[in-house]
Amino acid sequence: MVSVALCMLFLPLLSALVTLLFLRKNGSFASLLSVCTSGAILIMALSLIFDRNADTLAWDTTWFQLGGWELRFGFLIDAPCRLLLFVVAFVGFLIHVFSLGYMGDDSARPRYFGGLSIFMFSMLGITLADNLIMIFVFWELVGFSSYLLIAHYFKTDESANASRKAFIVNRIGDFGFLIGIILTYWVYGTVNLNELADLADFSPSLATTTLCLLLACGFIGKSAQFPLHVWLPDAMAGPTPVSALIHAATMVAAGVYLLIRIDFLFTEDALGLIAFMGALMGLYAGFCALVQRDIKKILAYSTLSQLGYMAAAFGMGAPGLALFHLTTHAFFKALMFLGSGSVIYACHHEQDIFKYGGLRKRMPLTAITFLIGVFAISGVNFFSGYFSKDAILLWAYNFNLPVFILLYAGAILTSIYMFRLYFVSFEGESRSEYAQGAKENSILMTGPLILLGILSIFGGYFSIYPIELGSFLRADLSISDALPNHMWMVVLGTIAWVVGLLFSRLTYSRVSNSDPLSKGLPAFFEICQSRLFFDEIYHFFISKIYDPFCRFLEVMELLFISGLMVRGSAGLAALLSMLSKLCYSGRMHTYVFWFLLGTVGFLIYSSGLINQ
Amino acid sequence: MLTITPYHFLILSILLVGVGFLGLLIRRNILLMLMSLELMLNGINIALITFSRVGNNLDGSIFVFFIMTVAAAEVAVGLALLVALFKKRKSVLSDDMALLKN
Repeated sequence: MVSVALCMLFLPLLSALVTLLFLRKNGSFASLLSVCTSGAILIMALSLIFDRNADTLAWDTTWFQLGGWELRFGFLIDAPCRLLLFVVAFVGFLIHVFSLGYMGDDSARPRYFGGLSIFMFSMLGITLADNLIMIFVFWELVGFSSYLLIAHYFKTDESANASRKAFIVNRIGDFGFLIGIILTYWVYGTVNLNELADLADFSPSLATTTLCLLLACGFIGKSAQFPLHVWLPDAMAGPTPVSALIHAATMVAAGVYLLIRIDFLFTEDALGLIAFMGALMGLYAGFCALVQRDIKKILAYSTLSQLGYMAAAFGMGAPGLALFHLTTHAFFKALMFLGSGSVIYACHHEQDIFKYGGLRKRMPLTAITFLIGVFAISGVNFFSGYFSKDAILLWAYNFNLPVFILLYAGAILTSIYMFRLYFVSFEGESRSEYAQGAKENSILMTGPLILLGILSIFGGYFSIYPIELGSFLRADLSISDALPNHMWMVVLGTIAWVVGLLFSRLTYSRVSNSDPLSKGLPAFFEICQSRLFFDEIYHFFISKIYDPFCRFLEVMELLFISGLMVRGSAGLAALLSMLSKLCYSGRMHTYVFWFLLGTVGFLIYSSGLINQ
Repeated sequence: MLTITPYHFLILSILLVGVGFLGLLIRRNILLMLMSLELMLNGINIALITFSRVGNNLDGSIFVFFIMTVAAAEVAVGLALLVALFKKRKSVLSDDMALLKN
């Protein structure tokens, strides 16, 4: 089984390499190769998941040695790993297939599909890794492939800037993560997850709280949580399938997965903080999504908000629920992103929802599957999101009321902005010529939509999950089932989505080219539109504080290091050489004279006359 | 009556070395400079023989043989160089041989 895992991990890297070396000019072959690779990954992942021999597969070997310290390379395939492996392989495969249609007429297909393969490699690495340093290596690799793929349309300033922003903001979080890893090694003496699980004790100290908060920095950066959330909405400048794969279903969820992998390290205080921040993010992103016009940005903010739910679930001590929501979210969010991709493709890359309208009649399959996604994320009863989100809400209701209030408000907002998106884009009259000319796409694009739609409906029934996939979820979900106030939560959850549906129906069913909220509640609209000025604050910080500080450092560097120390010592040597050059006349008599002087000086010195 | 003591020999040796050195400094002709060098070496030889005599051993005398050998070899090489230089530059003045400067 280890060989299968190794094969699965390195196959996409090989495919990317072949694409890079031989297929740079040949788009069709490169895309076929990449899709076949992802299909092979899916098959190998399934065989790993349904391997009956081992409950938990742990394997490792020496990667390299530095003196007495060695770095291990290994796999830890346990229950959460299996579930994420399934999500990554399955959603990854569907998105590869979708990309065949979506990127069919793109001139840089080899670069795109090569990037996807590198992404699959790094994401599988994170999923399988059994120690923190290996996770960190692949962590950086997903960051790199995300950068590569956001910058696919690098000729536009928007996506070039967005890719840099994503990379740099992620680096900030990763720096904390790296320090956290070093601190972990310092405190526990190992970075292996299994050994850490044995060593970790639950007596919180300053070191252990700092340590897990630092490790959580990695999660904050990668999952775009407050205060590093600014990169994700901008990352939508990349191709839509990339947004679906990386910025909705898998990579941003890797942050949550990291938390689940190391949940034994977390202290009570750190968990409380993460829960509260997550809930706050759920609400904040909801307000932002409410006023966006760009279909992908709405979905991006909704991803932020759902990641907040996962963080909140984790923070309240229910990693199983977090992983459950991660799984259902991966299905319905990938579905909606691919749906938006289908719409964008049909409307010639128009992304403003107020220029759509009436698409349901023109693209029925996309509209129906999109509606399923909307139902799932809003928590409409018996769709997948209903189960995962209401489990989190119920848990919060029983254990942490402030978090529950934030999450519940977020749930209402979620259904409002999701139904708004649906009504504005798919119902009413078409408001642009592109929308009027839109046609349903080919089976390459609708096929993945249908499959994801089915999963979005049934993904919530965890009892139909095979035992290999569902075992990690079962513990937390059975606790959640036994909690009191179950019926009450069903009623509350239903109220949340019905309120959202009715509000959106009344407000957005007959819109023109502008948002009704901007006239109805201008002050509120402005505040939401400003996104609480995070970008402006960061820009202010960088241009007014950080930049001058750097320039100050630069001047100091010029003055002291390169001025005084480097140039100074060189200048001293030059001065000495100029002085000694004066003695160099080239005439024999001068030298003879110096020789005499030297001899006399030496004689005087050796006779000891000077000392007396 | 004036007796000749080792001091007189040493004074003679210093004078010879001094004359040779002054010659080396003042003369511009390389042939004469070589001769001045020989003068200095011979001055040193006298000092060494004096020490040998005073110390009643052969160390200094043996050393003198070495110096004479070296001096002979040096003169041979020096003169050969000088002849070669003269063929090339048509001059034996040391002032014309400052080409290495700059």
